[in-house]
Amino acid sequence: MEDYALVMKDVCKDFKVLNRHEGLKGSIQDLFSRDYKTISAVKDVSLNVKRGEIIGYLGPNGAGKSTTIKMMTGVLEPTSGEILVNGKVPYKNRTENCENIGVVFGQRSQLWWSLPLIESFKLLRDIYMVPKNEYNDMIELYKSLVDIEPIINKPVRQMSLGQRTLSDILAAFLHNPAIVFLDEPTIGLDVSMKDKIRSLIKGLNKEKNTTVILTTHDMGDVDALCKRIVIIDKGTKIYDNDIEHLKSYFGSYRTLHMRLADDTWESMLIDEKETDIMDVIMRKQKETKIKDIRLEEISTEEVIKKIYEGDAA
Amino acid sequence: MEHVRGLAFYTKLYRKILVQDLKTKMSYRADFIISTIGMIMTNLSGFVTFLILFRNFPTINGWDYYHMLFLYGFSLVALTPVQCFFDNNWNLRFMVYSGDFIKYCFRPVNVFFYFISEVFDVKGLGQLAFGIGTLVYSWIHIGLPVSFMIILKLIVFLITASLFMIALMNAAAATCFWIKNSGYVMVIMFRFKDFAKYPASIFSGIFKVIFTFVIPIAFVAYYPSLVILDPDNVPLLSLLSPVLGILFFYLSYKFWMLGVRKYDFTGS
Repeated sequence: MEDYALVMKDVCKDFKVLNRHEGLKGSIQDLFSRDYKTISAVKDVSLNVKRGEIIGYLGPNGAGKSTTIKMMTGVLEPTSGEILVNGKVPYKNRTENCENIGVVFGQRSQLWWSLPLIESFKLLRDIYMVPKNEYNDMIELYKSLVDIEPIINKPVRQMSLGQRTLSDILAAFLHNPAIVFLDEPTIGLDVSMKDKIRSLIKGLNKEKNTTVILTTHDMGDVDALCKRIVIIDKGTKIYDNDIEHLKSYFGSYRTLHMRLADDTWESMLIDEKETDIMDVIMRKQKETKIKDIRLEEISTEEVIKKIYEGDAA
Repeated sequence: MEHVRGLAFYTKLYRKILVQDLKTKMSYRADFIISTIGMIMTNLSGFVTFLILFRNFPTINGWDYYHMLFLYGFSLVALTPVQCFFDNNWNLRFMVYSGDFIKYCFRPVNVFFYFISEVFDVKGLGQLAFGIGTLVYSWIHIGLPVSFMIILKLIVFLITASLFMIALMNAAAATCFWIKNSGYVMVIMFRFKDFAKYPASIFSGIFKVIFTFVIPIAFVAYYPSLVILDPDNVPLLSLLSPVLGILFFYLSYKFWMLGVRKYDFTGS
């Protein structure tokens, strides 16, 4: 048990939702109605995450990712099943659990809006009771990984989205938690900022052996950071393994890019088991002239898309 | 590695957050000055209305002008803490709807404390100054004695009175965890505070019962101030008010925290 940062066993989460009726009469009915339906947001999810691992926790919108994260962080209580974070039940020991986790929501800053970053850091140091030398070491580590000079004295409200995300990530690691949850950390950021954020996460994970649970829709994040991915859909875990394994599963897929006579590129995904690539090219050539051809292995992005669409089953 | 966070921890943390907050507020000078002026104007207009009213009705139910003024000043001072320290309750429902509220649940500190500590409203200080001025002025005119005991009593019962108001606002704010349009609950509660500056004895029957036991507005000035104004026959409710105040505050806190637990944090 000890080398797992996170253990989930058969975790389910149901929500009760009132069945709403239409119209004014319906609204009045709803006032007194006890007519609830149960929605299961998460169904029998089991998961073990080792210390120091970075896992990509993926799934289409509404798949139950956020609900799972909320249960792992102790905000929501599972309907059934067991969750252990650092060996403790998060919901029952919320404050203790919080000492050992860090959370970043890509679009919501958790820092004090009007305070300069360094003052937020100092308050967090007090809240988490981080010893002075550990705090100083952490700041030194930050300085070695990113250029914090431009943001350290800036109030959070004056920061760009990228700077704010960077600050939030730094703040989440400040008390050296065992697990950090990152929910879409690169959402809305430009390419170079995404790169910066990814290398920062990678650096912190390596230096501190922090377990990272990353939810994202950006496959660039996954490619850069995760070896293992977990995919859930409609509340059920549908995949849990290495990315490479997943790609080999779709090994017979190739992306064919063709540059046509009017210089536009046309791309298509082809399963070599079913279709012969040469056939496709020749058929196309009868319609129009092909100036250039490029053949690529299936990208993570396309693999995930195929899984969401239900081809993995 | 588990830490124990006690009263000393929270006091120190609050002080640090407050100092930082004040520093930034001062840096927005125009904002600071305008809001202070606004608060003074609000109080002034309330005060003028009050004067006009009581110049024309010299006594109400045996309460003369200066006693009424005392009650008014008492309520202003008693309303200061809710204004200064608990103002973030007004933002609670927006945070809850948008889902931003979840961020308060990720720190190893008390959620209520963490949420409330975020905002300190300086405007309340103008009200405090106004209230103290009114209290002193009426105090002199009524000819109340000045002794250590009476000042101590005054402080204890002012704290009592503010506990009631804080509790009312906590409870009103916490309704947003259950109902969607909880804004009006808070607005109504806040309006009720205007009744605090009148002696509860002017209300008849059912209203007196409501303002004493259901929405205990009468405890925000009337009952506690009787201890100072009429020391020879203090009603039992006045004597009990400190205990009731603490109890009511505790219950409102529990209600607030229950809301946090019940709330399902839907929406990403």
